[in-house]
Amino acid sequence: MIEILQWSTLATCAVVAGARVPSALRGENRTVFYIFALLTVAILLSIEAPYVAIDKALGGINLTNLILRFVIFAAIYFVGIRVTKGFDAEDGHRLITGWAGRAVLALISMAVVVLFLMMDTAGSSSGLNRVALKDARNGLLVELYGAAGRAYPTFVSLVLLPAMVRAVRSALPALVRMAAFLLGAGAVAIALTLLFPLWPPQWGTAKFIVNYTAVLCFVIGLALIWAARIRYGRNVPRKITYTTAE
Amino acid sequence: MPIPAKAFQRWLQGIAPDTSTADVCRISGIKRTTLAQQMVRGKISGTTVVSISRAFNINPVDALAVFDTFRALGDPPRPPSRAELVSQVSTPDLLRAVLARPALDPAGQPSAGRPTLSPTPHATSVTNWVEAIDDGELRHRVSAATGIAPQNYSAQLTANRLAPELAVATSLAAGVGPVGGLVASGLITEEEAGWPPDARQAALDSLSDGELTTLAGDRLLALGKALRRQEQDQEKTDKIWENLG
Repeated sequence: MIEILQWSTLATCAVVAGARVPSALRGENRTVFYIFALLTVAILLSIEAPYVAIDKALGGINLTNLILRFVIFAAIYFVGIRVTKGFDAEDGHRLITGWAGRAVLALISMAVVVLFLMMDTAGSSSGLNRVALKDARNGLLVELYGAAGRAYPTFVSLVLLPAMVRAVRSALPALVRMAAFLLGAGAVAIALTLLFPLWPPQWGTAKFIVNYTAVLCFVIGLALIWAARIRYGRNVPRKITYTTAE
Repeated sequence: MPIPAKAFQRWLQGIAPDTSTADVCRISGIKRTTLAQQMVRGKISGTTVVSISRAFNINPVDALAVFDTFRALGDPPRPPSRAELVSQVSTPDLLRAVLARPALDPAGQPSAGRPTLSPTPHATSVTNWVEAIDDGELRHRVSAATGIAPQNYSAQLTANRLAPELAVATSLAAGVGPVGGLVASGLITEEEAGWPPDARQAALDSLSDGELTTLAGDRLLALGKALRRQEQDQEKTDKIWENLG
């Protein structure tokens, strides 16, 4: 079940990223292509088999996991700046790119790196599951490391959420509003991941589903906006129905 | 409440006893799947009844009046009020009428033939009609009488739509003749409603220069607001595509 979800998410990301290649080559919104490409890499690195294969090649010390964290940070950062800009969320944009956002990113990055260095990371294992089982100290460090890794995506998600709620309730084209709904749902899912330590251990499957739902929501949401642009074209005047706000 | 399928079948039996459902659909131009779906749900739309009655040369108002929901349509006809008639003149026609008044455009050339009004309904006919008969409390009364949520009612008006049963309920709540809303929502023509052919033109002509100009101004103001809002939405959409498309 989880394997199907993982591989189908990977396939979705890869297909959308591949579909963006021609427009990226033409120079249209390359950032959107980077988001899809980064998310594809992130999903690839979160699946056990490719993770272990790549990590073995990098020395078998779970360096891949650290790389994965920063790939996710980069993806969510690009999502944050593009979506706040597109949806006209000036405050959100300033919060992510301003000194506050940069300070948050620097602090969390530092915490992730320091915690990683403090662990005994020998032995490739996706999600650092086997590292966590080594002893109590490593178990705690993995928990904290995971929390730090989820903190930045959560920060950006919470910044995005108000603008998405506004967009869903607006009079924008239906596809755009659906996209905003998906982006908002993804943001909520990411925010939920921060609460993972409070979840009972037997909810492991639920955690997976929340994680992949978040990525799928973002990818499909962004793809929908792209589809909407193709569907409605640029500057096509919509039919006048009218009347003042009731 | 729409028309129950049972009552509809009884009515159809009465007007076309020997015609198969397939033939009824063919003659009246209704999709068979549409009618089948409405029958399965047990709710027949007013549009279906109107299409069938037209095909069988029955006045749609008389046909609708057979059903409980629309019983008010069977009452002795009442002429439309002047405000209702003028509300069914489209904004472009209204503006042309302004320019045709010698007092308002002294330099204008007196045109030989007066342009005829475009047929009902027009782009904002539903809202204009409700505004024409609204005493300020009408919307509350309609939602109290029919149980529709005020925001759903407003949404229909904004989209220039009005369900037939709501149209009749609105007329009743406003104390005007029951057919006006059906004309405004485009379900029936003014001729089918029993409005004299030149009634709208006569109502328009009876407005004083001042009344006509004020009305045209109100219409332009509303249209300007709507257009402005659409432009703003378009700007927002463009910005989204520019950044994320």
